[in-house]
Amino acid sequence: MNDSAKKTYWKSFAQRDGCLDANEADPHQAGPAPFSRRHFLEAAGFTLSLATLSGCGRAPEVIALPFVDQPEGMIPGRSQTYASTCAGCPAACGLLVGVRDGRPLKMEGMPEHPLSRGGLCAIGQALPLGLYDSHRLAQPLASGKVTSWEDVDESITRLLGEVKQGNGAVRFVTSTVTSPTLKAQIDAFLAQYNDAKHVTFDAVSCSAILDAHEKTHAARVLPHYKLDQANVIVAFGADFLGTWISPVEFTAAWQTRRAPTKKHPKMSYHVQFEGRLSLTGGNADRRYRLSPVEYGGVLSHLATTLSMLAGEDPPAGRLSESPIAATEIDHLAEKLWDARGASLVLCDSQDVSVQVLVNFINHLLSNYNKTLDIQRPSRQRQGNDADVLNLVEELKAGKVAALFVAGTDLTHNLPDHKAIAAGISKAKLVVSFAERQDDFASLAHFVCPDHHPLESWLDAEPVAGLVSISQPTLQPLGGTRSILESLARWSGDSDSAYDILRASWRENVLPRVEPRPFQAFWDKAVHDGFVNATPIAPTVSEFQSDTVALVDAEPSGDDYTISLYSKVGLTDSRHAHNPWLQELPDPTTKITWDNYVCVSPTAAKELSLSNGDLVRVETDEGSSVELPTLVQPGQHDRVGAIALGYGVRGTDRFADIGPKWLEGRPTVAPGELVGKNVASLIETRDGELQYTVSGVTLTKSGGRRDLASTQEHHSLEIPRNVAPHGAEVRDIIQETTLEEFAQDSHAGTPHAHHHGDTQLWAEDHTKSGHSWGMVIDLNKCTGCSACLIACQSENNVPVVGKDEVRRQREMHWIRLDRYYSGAGDDVSVAHQPMMCHHCDNAPCETVCPVLATVHGDEGLNVQAYNRCVGTRYCANNCPYKVRRFNWFKYEREDALQNLVLNPDVTVRTRGVMEKCSMCVQRIEEGKIAARQRDEPVVDGNIQTACQQSCPAQAIVFGDMNDPESKVHGAFEDPRRYRLLEEFNFRPSVAYLRSVKNREAADGGEHHV
Amino acid sequence: MSDVHASLRSPLVTGDKTISDVTRDICAPMDRKPTALWWSAFGLSLTALIVGVAAVWYQIATGIGTWGLNKTVGWAFDITNFVFWVGIGHAGTLISAVLFLFRQKWRTAVNRSAEAMTLFAVMCAGIFPLIHMGRPWLAFWMMPYPNTRGPLWVNFKSPLLWDVFAISTYLAISAVFWYVGLLPDLATIRDRSEPGWRKRITSILCLGWNGSARTWLRYETVYLLLAGLATPLVFSVHTIVSMDFATAVIPGWHTTIFPPYFVAGAIFSGLAMVLTLMIIARKVMQLEDYITMTHIDRMCKLMMSMGCIVGLAYGTEFFMAFYSGNGYEQFVFKNRALGPFAWAYWTMVSCNVLIPQLLWSRKLRSTLPVVFVIVILVNVGMWFERFVIIVTSLHRDFLPSSWASYAPTSIEIATFVGSFGLFFTCFLIFCRIAPVIAIAEIKGAAHLKKRPPAESITEEKAA
Repeated sequence: MNDSAKKTYWKSFAQRDGCLDANEADPHQAGPAPFSRRHFLEAAGFTLSLATLSGCGRAPEVIALPFVDQPEGMIPGRSQTYASTCAGCPAACGLLVGVRDGRPLKMEGMPEHPLSRGGLCAIGQALPLGLYDSHRLAQPLASGKVTSWEDVDESITRLLGEVKQGNGAVRFVTSTVTSPTLKAQIDAFLAQYNDAKHVTFDAVSCSAILDAHEKTHAARVLPHYKLDQANVIVAFGADFLGTWISPVEFTAAWQTRRAPTKKHPKMSYHVQFEGRLSLTGGNADRRYRLSPVEYGGVLSHLATTLSMLAGEDPPAGRLSESPIAATEIDHLAEKLWDARGASLVLCDSQDVSVQVLVNFINHLLSNYNKTLDIQRPSRQRQGNDADVLNLVEELKAGKVAALFVAGTDLTHNLPDHKAIAAGISKAKLVVSFAERQDDFASLAHFVCPDHHPLESWLDAEPVAGLVSISQPTLQPLGGTRSILESLARWSGDSDSAYDILRASWRENVLPRVEPRPFQAFWDKAVHDGFVNATPIAPTVSEFQSDTVALVDAEPSGDDYTISLYSKVGLTDSRHAHNPWLQELPDPTTKITWDNYVCVSPTAAKELSLSNGDLVRVETDEGSSVELPTLVQPGQHDRVGAIALGYGVRGTDRFADIGPKWLEGRPTVAPGELVGKNVASLIETRDGELQYTVSGVTLTKSGGRRDLASTQEHHSLEIPRNVAPHGAEVRDIIQETTLEEFAQDSHAGTPHAHHHGDTQLWAEDHTKSGHSWGMVIDLNKCTGCSACLIACQSENNVPVVGKDEVRRQREMHWIRLDRYYSGAGDDVSVAHQPMMCHHCDNAPCETVCPVLATVHGDEGLNVQAYNRCVGTRYCANNCPYKVRRFNWFKYEREDALQNLVLNPDVTVRTRGVMEKCSMCVQRIEEGKIAARQRDEPVVDGNIQTACQQSCPAQAIVFGDMNDPESKVHGAFEDPRRYRLLEEFNFRPSVAYLRSVKNREAADGGEHHV
Repeated sequence: MSDVHASLRSPLVTGDKTISDVTRDICAPMDRKPTALWWSAFGLSLTALIVGVAAVWYQIATGIGTWGLNKTVGWAFDITNFVFWVGIGHAGTLISAVLFLFRQKWRTAVNRSAEAMTLFAVMCAGIFPLIHMGRPWLAFWMMPYPNTRGPLWVNFKSPLLWDVFAISTYLAISAVFWYVGLLPDLATIRDRSEPGWRKRITSILCLGWNGSARTWLRYETVYLLLAGLATPLVFSVHTIVSMDFATAVIPGWHTTIFPPYFVAGAIFSGLAMVLTLMIIARKVMQLEDYITMTHIDRMCKLMMSMGCIVGLAYGTEFFMAFYSGNGYEQFVFKNRALGPFAWAYWTMVSCNVLIPQLLWSRKLRSTLPVVFVIVILVNVGMWFERFVIIVTSLHRDFLPSSWASYAPTSIEIATFVGSFGLFFTCFLIFCRIAPVIAIAEIKGAAHLKKRPPAESITEEKAA
């Protein structure tokens, strides 16, 4: 047997016999061939000619790295964070811009910022998509044609010279300018002209509040509201958690009083009076349906009752009949009075006399300088409607020679478009600074596009004494120019925006801080993003009681009142080009890509309207608009509500968004825009722009327009005809009252059968290292949907367009479930963020035939996109329905938009299932960083995108194996519950039960 | 002895046929030129098939988005059609294998076409799981084959994987069973054919059949063994298909009654489809003497009994939902009967439970048009049964926020129509190229007259 090892193999007899033929000799054994002189010359000549040839052409230029001198700490491919200021709206929240390889990608809240406290709203999150928008103007325009800056500057300077000579009126219109540098620059620019004025126009103005303070305190200021100091908050219409003035700041402050614990079962009491159902109203402890025209009446009663409690004379005037029961008013007045100094009355009315009453009440309650600060006022809304209306008159009269508009679309946002446009055409010089061809820009002679906020240097002072810096995070993508520079050029300066800003800070900000060298101060300011400076306090007088008078509530009658509001995530027209925001479901109505008339179910029945029916809205002044209906529970029966900021010029671009196929319908019909502009309905009364329009008739007009809603069923109550006995209401949202919670911190736990807590695959899911978990506090979550866009931005979630949303195929990884509850037309609202629950006993994992979704060893339910074949079984079997399928290949608009993609996250292809990964890329990044430092992962160092930006800090994420972690603590909270717990899916996401500051309802609240 | 039986029971073949008549009659459609009726039926089927192919091509090129599915309803027409066709495919094996083992000789008139029907129905069924995938070009990943992807393997816990095995096994066994049963008849065709391509092909296909006693012995042994092998499949395939639903957590799917319920339903729908085809075939191909009213009567009885079992299953489901005390479960069933898809539910109940009760009447059983309408309605009802199970359970599950509706798109409907196109195209071709009735078997089962003197020898040899 062993012989085989000794066997030799041979190829030929010759080989075997050991006499190799000459022909079979190994050629490699031969010596080197002689290299002749001739061969040498041949080779040398060839080499030489090649060398010469290669020198003739220019080698393609390849830039491997953009840095000549690599900045310290800059690692290609690694994200760098820069402090900046959000310019999405004048609230000016603190911003941390995540920049990777010269591309700003992810906007995050700045935790140190005193106002926003780490929160950032949907608009802030969506800034990068606006940046990488190929529809932004890249060059200045003259009469609609692309031109060069030199030509524009030359023409404008020449025309300005003519205006100056002719003593023509120069009007500079901006939206609220929180930047002291820009304000100074505008003032300096206007100072060159005899008749020049800076008009501040807010598309959604709070002018009446400022005017009321001018009356009562002799200073036209907007108080800085401090909701974190308020135990009792009474808001009339003000949607302060959604869109009003500074929603992120207000949410961050409001939530500090919304976390009762077992030890301290205390929380603020929040009452909302409103006509439509706003995000804020949905979160209130007590909500009254009240038409905006009746605010004055209720406030008058409140003022009278409070005066009596204070032992003062009530304001003069007739007291009309209260729309709210007297006992309710007394009760509320008592609550306010008990909390005087720590209460707050807010109102969004544009009626100065109503706002004066509000000031009076806040004054009676000694709230000034406690919960509203007018010594350090807010600068987040400075609009002066009287000035605007004056300007409109001047325009119509042809008195304006030069008109400059920045930061707002003047004509889009004002009624009487035709007359204003005609007036504008009379001006000699019309200049727009718009970043795209908006409505006003199309009328302007010159469009001098400003940089995108992420491209430019600027500053902001949202509240007196808090000055923040906005720094550029990339080279401007187009040939745009900072407005600071444009104004400098036309004043004859050639300074760059950076120089202007530094000079301004050296002169104006440095003196307001403790003395130190400017460069050190500047470096620290740029690093931190903001400085606390000595505020420039306005001169405020004592309260002028003689200005106060009771307001006679207008009888609401049978006519409808239209309430024009701003939609969460869009506010005014300036973000209408952002598809993320257009597809962001309204937190309350859950509708995307449209505006509509909200009417109450009662009104809908009277007018025989149902969702999607077109309704004609006609004011008594003759303006009319036709929009689809949305039946909105909780709305006042005589109030219709329509969102502003739609029907924006250029939004017909979205016709092509979303997949195109046989039955696919375009998001925007040919020749139409996204929604309709309803600015024509705005009324002007008492020198203010009125967003409440009474005397409106609503008529059904016959047609239909389908609305794209992300949610079809709106309550936890099962439709009556199919409701099983004893299970009519599902306990998906658990809620209790403060009173019950104080007695029993487990109050609100439903009675359900629990069938053990078995781990099906205990050996497989040991989770010996980390075990990631998340807890969401339903008491803090307002439903603002910032997390939704944060997730979309972080995880490359595509936009699918209206038709796909209508087909219930939106791709958002986070869904904000909204349920109405309450009896009759009085509803309360519950919001529940819903993402992948990363179940231990995940139903999706067992059914995937190809193991594309599996359990990670840290408790995550992981989706392997490239393994997925798309059977959709996992999505069917998901009890929370959080899986999203790529029905089509979702193309982005163009290559530029692809720059917004996060390179850490795969872009999913068609036919693949996807879902929340709990930001696994962030988890890995955090773990790697900890490993490099050779230390354990510190709790709080890893944050998911949704958690990071949550203005209410409602989301806690961390390692449940770490007994010290916040999430571990939250899991021990008596309010903690897990969804569908009785099925033993063992989700890693839990909720904290919602507690409303109400008395225990008898028999419990029923979801309707 | 057999003559005694024959006088008691109604004869299997009527019309006073001899053995050679049988051969001639059954082979006649293959010898004739296709009739106009055949051509028009074939044209219609082929058109439907082409429509379906176009729809599938468009859907694969564009995406599953061309179907009316959404984030909540992930399956609808696709899996409904799949289960529908698999169900139809059940009668074939039942008739061939189970009735064979039970020595039910009347099955010989229908078993061949029932087997062919099974084959084509399973082909139709197989298409749907394939095209319902988001990335059908990766369907081979469902196969556990050695690969270069490291330890990545298929998920043996997934019922979809069980489906792959169950369906492919079923298809393979059915095909073999059908083919083996066809061997003597192929030899008959070979022997009857003039020299030419048909003779050459059948010579190869009949595996050298020579009609010897040894050939017959081997053949019958194999056939019996295959019947034994195929019998458990009648129960296993639809049991496993039902597990796609039963192992899920979705109320309305998560039900232990599903395996027997699905098997009964499958046999029920399969019988209905066999009857549908038989009624058409006996008319179109003049086979009234072979597929007699007795056959129709027996099939009707079998079908009705299956219908009653299915009805019992519907009732049991409702009772269990009530008895479970589980609100989610109770809701699903109330929602089926009274919710937005109540019309589908009541279509299903009427077609599957109520209407087949008419078959208690002997008179109606022997009225062909009535039977035809009833079997068509049962086909419709059984399709709706699967639709109801899939769509009504999914569209309103645990969280009301995710509740959604479903409506098919034109592409889905075209695909469904296309599956019928494929089925009938195959069946019509089958009618032309193979005997629709097992000649050899019917000769053995029916008691035919002796050969009259003038008959040729060749035919007898083959038989």
